[in-house]
Amino acid sequence: MTTSTATSANIGPESRLTILQRQRRWGWVFLSPWIFGFFVFTFFPMIASFVFSFTNFRIGEPIQLLSDNPACVAEFGSLRCLFGNWEKMFTDPVTSNALGVTLRFMLIAAPISILFPLGMASLLNSKFLLGKPILRVLFYMPFMVPAISGVFIWQSYLNGQTGYLNRILRLLGITEPPNWLFDSAYMHTAFVLIGLWGVGNAMLTMLASMQGVPTELYEAARVDGATGPVVFWKITLPMISPVILYNLVLSLVGLMQYFIVPYVMSNTTRSDPSANFINLHLYRTGFAFGDMGFASAQAWLIFIVALAFTVGIFATSRRWVYYASGG
Amino acid sequence: MATTVNKATYNKAVNTSPFYAVQLRKFATYGLVTMFAVLFLLVYLSPLANMFMVAIRSQEQLSQTADSSIFPMGAKKYEYKGKQLPIFKVEIDGVTRELAQVSATRRSSVFIDPANPEAGEITWEGNWRTLEPVQVMEAHFENFAEAWELINFPRLMGNTLFIAVTGMIGTLLSCICVAYAFARFPIPGKNLMFIILLGTIILPGQVTLIPTYAFFASIKWTGTWLPLIVPHFFANAYNVFLLRQYFLTLPRELDEAAMIDGAGPFRILLNVIIPQSWAAIISVGVFHFVWSWNDFFGPLIYLLGQKELQPVSVGIQVFNFQYGQRPDLIQATSLMAMAIPVIIFFLAQRVFMRGVVITGVEK
Amino acid sequence: MKRNVALLLALAFVLALVPLANANAQDKVVVTWFIGLGTGTNVDQIPVQEAVAKKFNESQTEIELKLNIAASNQAAPDVLSTLIAAGDAPDIVGPVGWSGANLFAGQYLDLKPLVEKMGYDLSQYPEALVKQYESPEGLIGIPFAVFPGVLYINKDLFDEAGLAYPPTEFGAKYMLNGEEVDWTWDTLVEVAKILTVDANGEDATSDAFDPTKIVQYGFDHQWDTIRADFDTFGGNPFYDAATGKVTVPDNWREHAKFMYNAIWVDHFMPNNTAVNSDLLKPHPFASGKIAMSRTMLWYTCCLADLKSNWDLAVVPSYKGNYYSVTDMDTFRIMKASKNPEAAFKVLTYLQGEAALDLLKAYGAYPGLPELQEPFIKGLQEKYPSVQNWGVAPASMAYAISVHESYYPNFAKGQLRFADFATLLRGDQGASIDVDAELDKLAADLQTIIDEVKK
Repeated sequence: MTTSTATSANIGPESRLTILQRQRRWGWVFLSPWIFGFFVFTFFPMIASFVFSFTNFRIGEPIQLLSDNPACVAEFGSLRCLFGNWEKMFTDPVTSNALGVTLRFMLIAAPISILFPLGMASLLNSKFLLGKPILRVLFYMPFMVPAISGVFIWQSYLNGQTGYLNRILRLLGITEPPNWLFDSAYMHTAFVLIGLWGVGNAMLTMLASMQGVPTELYEAARVDGATGPVVFWKITLPMISPVILYNLVLSLVGLMQYFIVPYVMSNTTRSDPSANFINLHLYRTGFAFGDMGFASAQAWLIFIVALAFTVGIFATSRRWVYYASGG
Repeated sequence: MATTVNKATYNKAVNTSPFYAVQLRKFATYGLVTMFAVLFLLVYLSPLANMFMVAIRSQEQLSQTADSSIFPMGAKKYEYKGKQLPIFKVEIDGVTRELAQVSATRRSSVFIDPANPEAGEITWEGNWRTLEPVQVMEAHFENFAEAWELINFPRLMGNTLFIAVTGMIGTLLSCICVAYAFARFPIPGKNLMFIILLGTIILPGQVTLIPTYAFFASIKWTGTWLPLIVPHFFANAYNVFLLRQYFLTLPRELDEAAMIDGAGPFRILLNVIIPQSWAAIISVGVFHFVWSWNDFFGPLIYLLGQKELQPVSVGIQVFNFQYGQRPDLIQATSLMAMAIPVIIFFLAQRVFMRGVVITGVEK
Repeated sequence: MKRNVALLLALAFVLALVPLANANAQDKVVVTWFIGLGTGTNVDQIPVQEAVAKKFNESQTEIELKLNIAASNQAAPDVLSTLIAAGDAPDIVGPVGWSGANLFAGQYLDLKPLVEKMGYDLSQYPEALVKQYESPEGLIGIPFAVFPGVLYINKDLFDEAGLAYPPTEFGAKYMLNGEEVDWTWDTLVEVAKILTVDANGEDATSDAFDPTKIVQYGFDHQWDTIRADFDTFGGNPFYDAATGKVTVPDNWREHAKFMYNAIWVDHFMPNNTAVNSDLLKPHPFASGKIAMSRTMLWYTCCLADLKSNWDLAVVPSYKGNYYSVTDMDTFRIMKASKNPEAAFKVLTYLQGEAALDLLKAYGAYPGLPELQEPFIKGLQEKYPSVQNWGVAPASMAYAISVHESYYPNFAKGQLRFADFATLLRGDQGASIDVDAELDKLAADLQTIIDEVKK
């Protein structure tokens, strides 16, 4: 796909281009697959969903802009009607509760989603660890379990009466272990536990990054007599900070869209408002209740919040992310 | 930046110890770290053990109390008058005997002694539930064979493999190029474009599903693998982001040296960037492979009605019907389906070891 | 490298286009049949449906029947929504009960004009049954399957407790402690308590009974909506379409209290934790640890692996009346169908020639009277140890199906009902005030209904 552009850049007025111009041109060449794919596969669905958020789109019914509803316009004016779905988001208590639940869950889950795989990756990177090839596979294995069977197993594993976890806890002398999935006080903890099985990707990327730290840096540190924790803090962490940034952004975006686990569990946790995450609420609004217009507005709310997080993290990243190439 | 190391306190103990003590200490560290890792792993993988134990249970054995063994146990049986009778430990006249239960009520049970059936039936007063059953291990590995046959496992695996591998190739080719562009080239508006790239994964997929489906339906791609494969040839945010982050950690000196030698951007990518980034590239490959392997909703909707084309993730659903799940077969299928990703990962991860050597030597 | 990309792309295209080319090869009218809103996705049912479609396609040259099985029941409504919204709606959906179908209310074709045009004989069905399918949208289905509510009993557990089996005829008496008593819900409570046993062998009537160590339960309302559970005490509507008002019917209050006592006071019915525990795997009655399950005839789908000696019995009476809460399934044609006449032809094939095969696979009692006898015969062959199949047709006389009735904003309302069920059976269920929660339920339903009426 990049062939034609690439060759045309090599002939003709090439000699007259400055190095910067030539570099730019190459940049566009390498970028072109994404730009093409973006406009073909992603751009229009995104725009469409944005437009939906200003309509009364219900599945199976004709779409109409909210400002085309004469009754509404007569009462509130066409602009306010057009933003009806957006207004509803701020007045609907279920939506704000769902957003609150998601943000609160994020507060616990986000740090764990970084620290837990970081610990695992450090362990797997330790030179004192024997049998690394096997252990790496075993640590990564939960990530390969298909989501549907994974959630089933966790439902069984966390059951208050017969679950393995509580059987282990009873063995350890805790006579009344929590009823993880049916007690709203413990439900988020249970979700975090299930989430521990999803850190394989974060662990893998951190490990890959740790492996890329030049050994000479460690040798230099050893010569200077630095101890393990200091080496970790002063060398490993800065050197893998680009990947931590990556995982942090993905983790926050993923938590804003947290869906699969509460969705599959929803047959048992349904009545609990603390299991009603914003993306699950969006999904129900759009698919179960058929109100795609309102669901689209919620999706764009998620988009705005998650984008704000992402931009915020990138803005601070200059202070804590270290790029050897100079960024 | 933070690469300079503070002068740490010199560890005298290490330096002054006799040689064997240093060795011993090293040995102990190996032991401790490995033991910790194994213990941690046991806890971390205990749900996986649970999964395996479900996969080898019979339908009858699926019902468990909190006191049941975690292994698939079945009652030891004795055949009597054409019936399989369960055996219990019964105390009669101060002697504990293993007897087969012929019939039971709440107050008394009738037993027969398998060692001496001619002695006739023995009536025992008491509630049989207080007796300890004699159990034997009874693993049902045939669940794997049953699942294999019920869902035409080889065909599902072939489909899954094709979708995952072609998608993986596509995502690697495109994402490496695009990440290279973001990491190394002075494109105007690069930061804004990068945010747009991330934006494509920030918007929840549920609301773009309908227009996306409508698009694929309009170009007649529904009912084929194309919607599951082709988009991956045009890069996605997850992998571009990861590779960009990794490429940015590579110092520019080597690029510049190659450029002075007259290498063009393609040559630099192939000879300088990629050889330094195998660990990250393999991560992306594995990640896409595993993701595609388990992707469920995409194949479900785009391959609706095309049974011949469906992957394992959809095929497994026949054991998950609303009225009457087969947890044993779901887990058996999942374990079988995991085999290939596990093998691929095992082979791929050797590159992680090499990653260290290459970077170390080249710099 | 670039050549490789091109090659792979070409390869992927070619391979993926093969099935597409096949599908387009024929010049027939394609009728798609969407399965997944109700039963039909079970591993034993899929081959039966495939055979039915194959037979149809071989029988004639004009129509090509294509099966679209959305393998996951949980995801099927989303798939259907997407298909409809993207203009790719199927022609026929089903089998689907009212509850599943109400999610897509307004999308179904009125069959009446087609019935008249094609000269289809509706009089072969009982008139009352046909009436059930007349909604404000018109006639949206033809009676296909009826699933009366029955009691599934585990005879082994009755034997062990030394109890008589529940009656198999309506009006028959039950022998309890040597006395003849009426088979009422009160009697069921007495029996169920004896059949609930803890790990030490103590039953729920004993003072030494330990409710934290239950290994066998006496009774369960299995796999049903709370609306169906409520209606076992009589089916009264909660919503008046004329006034738009929601009221809590008496049977709700009485039955909610019955369930509260059953779960939290007498402990003979499992709570949510127990239902989802390994004790009741693979599913409650099939675990062999439940003595009596009240559910519908479709549950015969799933008992092939139950080793216990099980049978059917009639539901108990409440205040002198029997209520068999009954599901009714049909096939429906979507309004968006491009070939409604071809779809109707397929529909009549599914209702007629193919019906018996399908009904057997679904475990559904036929709506067409002439199929009822061969159907029972089929069940007898599948489960030779079960004797009292007569319970199913007898229950039809007491059938009610208010529990599936439509009301505005249906999907959201059903979720609110499910919330009540999880509240009652969930971790905090013991501490709730049933009456207050029911009032809250009614108030919320009113809000939910009013939401769309504006």
